[in-house]
Amino acid sequence: MKTKDKKPFLNMDERNKQVAYRIMAIMYLLTIFAMQAVVIYRQFVLGQELGDFEDIAIIMTVNSLFLISALLYFGAIPIRKLKIKSILLIYLLLVTLGSLFTYAKYNIFAGPNLSFSQLFEKLIAVYAVSGIIMLFFILFSILGKRKMEKELE
Amino acid sequence: MENIKLKLARVEKGLSQQELADLCEVTRQTIGLVEKGKYNPTLNLCIKIATVLDLTLNDLFWDENKR
Repeated sequence: MKTKDKKPFLNMDERNKQVAYRIMAIMYLLTIFAMQAVVIYRQFVLGQELGDFEDIAIIMTVNSLFLISALLYFGAIPIRKLKIKSILLIYLLLVTLGSLFTYAKYNIFAGPNLSFSQLFEKLIAVYAVSGIIMLFFILFSILGKRKMEKELE
Repeated sequence: MENIKLKLARVEKGLSQQELADLCEVTRQTIGLVEKGKYNPTLNLCIKIATVLDLTLNDLFWDENKR
């Protein structure tokens, strides 16, 4: 029986693919940076409300979340062992950055200033979201490790 | 660094870059860049090239001076 030769996509060989992947990765990063710049410009220069650019913010957040999760799942980020200390450190880093950003957003760039209790309410959301993000990353690290172990069996 | 061994082996076999590329299922540019030392081929491609040229990987890609 005659079988049809399976032609590679666009006749790309390994070098073509490597170059294409590299360019795609760079363009992806540039797109994310450009979107971040757009969000900052809209928020702080044009003074738009969050609702005016919420779609862009959601796309960027989901994108970054899935990017890091995929990197963890497919073994692009080397993790020998999940240590509580490292997890806590990353969580603290996320919380610190989130808190600083929240404080700057409400008490430096936007007025009127929030009271301590109002700011605390906003910060609780930051802690919760950071925790969910960390859980997401831990879950994908564990699943990725299991997948790798299965492949090595 | 230029891969003279590969170039010599290909010429000795009477193949052009395009012919070798077709036999290895890659583009002529890829073979050209491997010969010029500007692209590091994967092990799979190295094996394909060595098989087509009836040589070993050592014959084509091992540099005694670098040991």
